[in-house]
Amino acid sequence: MAAAVEMEKEEESPMKKGEEALERLRSADPPLYLTQSSEFARDARAASCFLFSSLVPFCTKLPVDRLLVEGFDAEQIWYQIDLLSRPLLSTVRREFKRLEEEHHSRAGLSTIDADGDGEEMVVEKDEISVDDEGDEEDGDESEEKGSEDEEDGEEDDEDDGEADEEEEEEEEAGEAKGNVVEDKFLKMQDLENYLENAEAKEYGHPLEDFDSDGDEDAELGANARYEDFFGGNKKKQQKKCGTVGKRKRSSTELDAVDHFENTDEDVEKNDSEQKLLSTHEKELQKMRSKIEEMEKANLDPKSWTMQGEVTAAKRPKNSALEVDLDFEHNVRPAPVITEEVTASLEDIIKKRIIEGHFDDVERAPILPSKPPKETKEMDENKSKKGLAEIYEEEYAQKTGLAPALLSASDKLKTEATMLFKKISLKLDALSHFHFAPKPVIEDMSIQVNVPALAMEEVAPLAVSDAAMLAPEEIFHGKGNIKEEAELTKEERKRRRANQKRRFRRLKAETFKRAVQKTGQSAVPGATNGN
Amino acid sequence: MEVEKVEAKTAVATAMEVEKAASSAAAPRPQFKPLKPHEMSDRKIEFRKVSVPQHRFAPLKRCWMEIYTPVYEQMKIDIRMNLKTKKVELKNRADTPDISNLQKSADFVHAFMLGFDVADAVALLRLDDLYVDTFEIKDVKTLRGEHLSRAIGRLSGKGGKTKFAIENSTRTRIVIADSKIHILGSFLNIKIARDSLCSLILGSPAGKVYSKLRTVSARLAEKY
Repeated sequence: MAAAVEMEKEEESPMKKGEEALERLRSADPPLYLTQSSEFARDARAASCFLFSSLVPFCTKLPVDRLLVEGFDAEQIWYQIDLLSRPLLSTVRREFKRLEEEHHSRAGLSTIDADGDGEEMVVEKDEISVDDEGDEEDGDESEEKGSEDEEDGEEDDEDDGEADEEEEEEEEAGEAKGNVVEDKFLKMQDLENYLENAEAKEYGHPLEDFDSDGDEDAELGANARYEDFFGGNKKKQQKKCGTVGKRKRSSTELDAVDHFENTDEDVEKNDSEQKLLSTHEKELQKMRSKIEEMEKANLDPKSWTMQGEVTAAKRPKNSALEVDLDFEHNVRPAPVITEEVTASLEDIIKKRIIEGHFDDVERAPILPSKPPKETKEMDENKSKKGLAEIYEEEYAQKTGLAPALLSASDKLKTEATMLFKKISLKLDALSHFHFAPKPVIEDMSIQVNVPALAMEEVAPLAVSDAAMLAPEEIFHGKGNIKEEAELTKEERKRRRANQKRRFRRLKAETFKRAVQKTGQSAVPGATNGN
Repeated sequence: MEVEKVEAKTAVATAMEVEKAASSAAAPRPQFKPLKPHEMSDRKIEFRKVSVPQHRFAPLKRCWMEIYTPVYEQMKIDIRMNLKTKKVELKNRADTPDISNLQKSADFVHAFMLGFDVADAVALLRLDDLYVDTFEIKDVKTLRGEHLSRAIGRLSGKGGKTKFAIENSTRTRIVIADSKIHILGSFLNIKIARDSLCSLILGSPAGKVYSKLRTVSARLAEKY
């Protein structure tokens, strides 16, 4: 008894340990999976053992009845798990299909639970379906990367652990394809469902889900025929599906959320109704549906672009930006300046320059007809002169008693002339007064009657000849002066005659004077008076 | 020669006849000397009394000699200050050259009392055709309180520059005493100054008034 108890305990304790290990793994943070810790590895192995042993009863042919963990590396452990899981997965899928069929036949919305466990599992699954997918994705990624041992073992074990989920199989099926693209927005399964619906609408019957068919039953895939894929005998296919579904059926309930099932059902129903339509009838049906659509569109209110005058309030926001509006522009568009335009302009300019043909308007020069008016500036200061003085000055100017005041312009003129004189003086200085006439300096000085020759010799260069005595000042003679050698005979005679006359006159004058003087006194040796 | 002499004789004869005729017709014309101004008013002495306002007392005392001298010396009018009655009294003299001198002197003193400078008021003595014109702001436009103050400010301008500008360009003198405005000058100039001041009271900006003044004064200057 004790031994049995002990045995039980022993059996139980590893189970418990395994459960605990699994719990610990579950509760651990995802980043911890990346770290290398021996504890984690031990937990992972324990959990794997537990899961393996819990799944063993379901599997029929197995070489090993429990997971050999000690001393084996990741590859070997994985191979053992794989051995277990492959046939198990296929059986589970078959059951699932069978259950589907049952679900259809029951007009399948009932969710009767055979097991409470199943309920829990489903609820669990519902809640964490997204997380599961996330986990699976991580697991798959880690598989692909080929990273740590623990992760591989754990993820797969978790997958195995949740064996009751039917959706997850579908999801697994889809995993292989879309695990790179999928995220919380894009689900490949949803995409496939939508595509299948569209195709069903188009062709009037559902196309076969190749993948699921291929995956779910290897036997079916091996014997795939034209009829399987492209219609023909629907009943055959349904029978097959039915058998498969029955085999798959388990005690667990179906999920109502599985819309893939529903659509499949609907499509299959339609199939049964329309399977005998001819091409013509199909075309007619299409036309009819199109007509219906168009009539519906006509009855609906028109879009805002088709209505007449639309204000901003009547159309959605920013809708005018999206529509291509066309309206008349009354403005000539600005000319696009291209190289040709520039070249043509430049040619015109060159031609005109060569011709000398400039026809730009010139402003006519203003010719001053009258002298500029003298405008008095407005004086804003208190006037220094009293009113009486102002009138006095005015009167004085009028009568001419006072000289006319220099008007402003006169003052300016005098100022200007002074400035100009200063400037011209400076400019002359620049050229050493070469061009300017010498200023006349009137001063009194004594002129010496020195012969010019002497002066010329000694005088400095600066003294001009004008300072010396003029020839007239030296000699006052008149007429044609000739030397004795030049004289002719008559002239000589004339000169002599003049001389004689002068001499005689002189003599006569002196004699007269003498006689007058000696009117009182006797003349010595005088011959008159006898 | 004889003919000429005969003609001259006849001319003289006719002239003498005319003279006789005239003298025989009426009495000889009296020749009077011109009347003195004193005699013109029947030898009556006339007075003028100009009252002095309170605020002009001190200036009067300061400028008394400047007022007294031209009035007494040149106008030959007796002038005195009666402190008891606070009036300036003017009196005609026997040798006053012109009867209008008294009135001119009275106007001169009155102008000083209004607020004009002596140098400006003296022009009244020297020129005949200068007048003093007075008007109030309320004659032009009814303004109250701040509007009135602002109008007075507009009239004077900053540092009195608007007033001086008008004075200089129109050859007038302006006194702004609270609400009363006095203008001294010749008739035409008073008119121009008054127009400018009225436009300022009514609200036009100083620049506008200046431009108008410029054109008008230029026109005036051209005339003379």
